[in-house]
Amino acid sequence: MSSPAVDALRHSAPDAYVVLDDLDRITHVSSKLHGELGRWIGHVLWDHLPGARDVYAPTFDEARATGVPVQSVVFYSGRVKRLTAIPGPDGLAVHVERLAELELTSLATLTRSLASIEAALADRETERSDSPAPASLRALP
Amino acid sequence: MLVEGNRRPDGASHILDTFRPGSYDGRTVAVTVQQAAFVVLDAGDRIVGVGPHAESQFGPLVGSVMWDCFPGAEPLFKPYYDQARRSGECIEFVQYYDGYVARVRAAPRTGDELEVSWEQLTRIDTTTLGALSDSLAESLELLDLQERDANRDELRKTLQLIEGGA
Repeated sequence: MSSPAVDALRHSAPDAYVVLDDLDRITHVSSKLHGELGRWIGHVLWDHLPGARDVYAPTFDEARATGVPVQSVVFYSGRVKRLTAIPGPDGLAVHVERLAELELTSLATLTRSLASIEAALADRETERSDSPAPASLRALP
Repeated sequence: MLVEGNRRPDGASHILDTFRPGSYDGRTVAVTVQQAAFVVLDAGDRIVGVGPHAESQFGPLVGSVMWDCFPGAEPLFKPYYDQARRSGECIEFVQYYDGYVARVRAAPRTGDELEVSWEQLTRIDTTTLGALSDSLAESLELLDLQERDANRDELRKTLQLIEGGA
């Protein structure tokens, strides 16, 4: 069974989402991500993403606690990502959109990419101040 | 100085700090100085030899031109390699590439061959913003130190010239 919210997410962003149970165990991976993450089904997400719990879990916890979709912009593993967590009866659907990425090749590429990381994180602050309730499916790509 | 001691029965090796008094018993411990990883480049910077500690990473690359295997590395390393070949002297430098800061040593061999060895000093940790910030600060500090050392060397040379002329 799926909630309208999860259905909406699956229809609007069918290419990249996973569904987690209450213990953050992966119960479903969208077909687009199946090749990359399919082998993680049944595994706890944090076992594969060292250090990610502190970064991602507050968004997941808020979505579960409020029962409404929650969005956040976070930095993890060299990338700025927009997280969308949508609670439903079959679990928490999580969509991750990459916004900016570090380019480590040289100090020059690192410096340039740090600027884009900084800009993406600055946008996060703007979004926060513009929208006191950022949880909205309308923001999905 | 860290050296690798004799193997324990479980296969692990003792790492000894020989600068620390009492860290080992010199009568009973046979020590082997850990060798740096190295590759040998020909005049065209083609990999023609690989040291045992670089075998896993560079072994499959023998016969390839270095710069084809490591995009973006040429402008960062080649000037130093060229300088070592031109001068016939060993060049040491600290360089950042692909998330690592390494101390690199380019030593001319016979012909235009060059033996390049390296030691990784720091790695950029991209896991979280905090880790990124800390590791970046550490890396930049190392590169600043290298810059200062280079400037100091220049200063010494200039001073020697002045002293020679006085």
